[in-house]
Amino acid sequence: MIENQTKTSFFTGISCVGRFTAKEMKFHITLFILAVTFFHGYSAEEEDAGRLLASKNVLNQYLVEGRDLTVEYRIYNIGGSAALDVKLEDDTFPEADFDVSSGSLVAKWDRIAPNTNVTHAVILRPLKYGYFNFTAATVSYLPSDKTAERQVGYTSAPGEGGIVNSREFERRFSPHVLDWLVFAVMTLPSLGIPFLLWYSSKSKYDISKPKKN
Amino acid sequence: MAAKSGKQKNLTKEEELLLQDFSRNVSTKSSALFYGNALIVSAIPIWLFWRIHQMDLYQSGIIFVVGTIVSTYLVSFAYKNVKFVLKHKVAQKREEAVSREMMKKLADDKKMNKKEKDERILWKKNEVADYEATTFAIFYNNALYLVLLIIASFYVLRNFNPNINYIFSVGTACGLLALFSTSTK
Repeated sequence: MIENQTKTSFFTGISCVGRFTAKEMKFHITLFILAVTFFHGYSAEEEDAGRLLASKNVLNQYLVEGRDLTVEYRIYNIGGSAALDVKLEDDTFPEADFDVSSGSLVAKWDRIAPNTNVTHAVILRPLKYGYFNFTAATVSYLPSDKTAERQVGYTSAPGEGGIVNSREFERRFSPHVLDWLVFAVMTLPSLGIPFLLWYSSKSKYDISKPKKN
Repeated sequence: MAAKSGKQKNLTKEEELLLQDFSRNVSTKSSALFYGNALIVSAIPIWLFWRIHQMDLYQSGIIFVVGTIVSTYLVSFAYKNVKFVLKHKVAQKREEAVSREMMKKLADDKKMNKKEKDERILWKKNEVADYEATTFAIFYNNALYLVLLIIASFYVLRNFNPNINYIFSVGTACGLLALFSTSTK
């Protein structure tokens, strides 16, 4: 389990394609509430059963092809007792589109005590650019030790996010120090040589003037 | 009749030389120098657009070639104009120093008459002015071209598509350069 490994602080400032819009956020919140009611409905019957709320978030501001993307899952037990044998599974990232860079898309907890949080994060690497719909992961657990029936629920879904072309991203954000240095080296002769030739001739004839005066 | 035509021929030769000194036309040698320099400075933006604006060398090959050719032509046009304007200014400025230098050099030569000395001085003056005007025109235009290009492509047209950015920034840089060179002041 990786706890909030990279909060990717280098993506700050300027807004870009990869950011979730307000509309998407609203959608995301709605889904979260749906997830809450879903779990609540199930466990309202048993007062002392574990009830889990789960959210899924993409932490990056910019989603870039070939660069790390952090997905964070938070599970909170609002029930009266511990939830047992909790299993979080996310099969919404196709292998053709994403590489798992670090962490795992499956996480298990033996028990989650009442009123506690657990967090799980996974770092993925998008292989293609374009829009991708981030949908909900599955959480399954036993609400109490008395029941053998597993409760199945879903996390919130972050919604659609644009994955930026790495070339476009480089163009916008890379400082290109080396490229500028090479540029400077290339321009130097075309500026330096004529200037030196001109300057040597100028100083030759400019100096001879005050000599006589 | 024959003598007259011969004389006329001589005069035209002298006139031609004189005209050459003060005309906008440049010799083949300096023309080659101008085109060579213009080509180098026009090709430099390709690096920037390839590496920094992430343009593809093969996909945008045609734009690069056409842009470089047009820019080479306009930059060398600017060199010629600036050189022409500068040559006269430099000639006036260097007149005294050059003639002093030449007089010192030719002082020992008793055989040479005054007319010949004057010719030598004039020739030297022309050479110095030509050299200084050429080198300065190249330096000034190269610097101005690169500055205009960087301002256009990295500030004004920064958010445009790289292809459009290349076409307009190179076009603006060499266009303005050619335009500025036509002013005579």
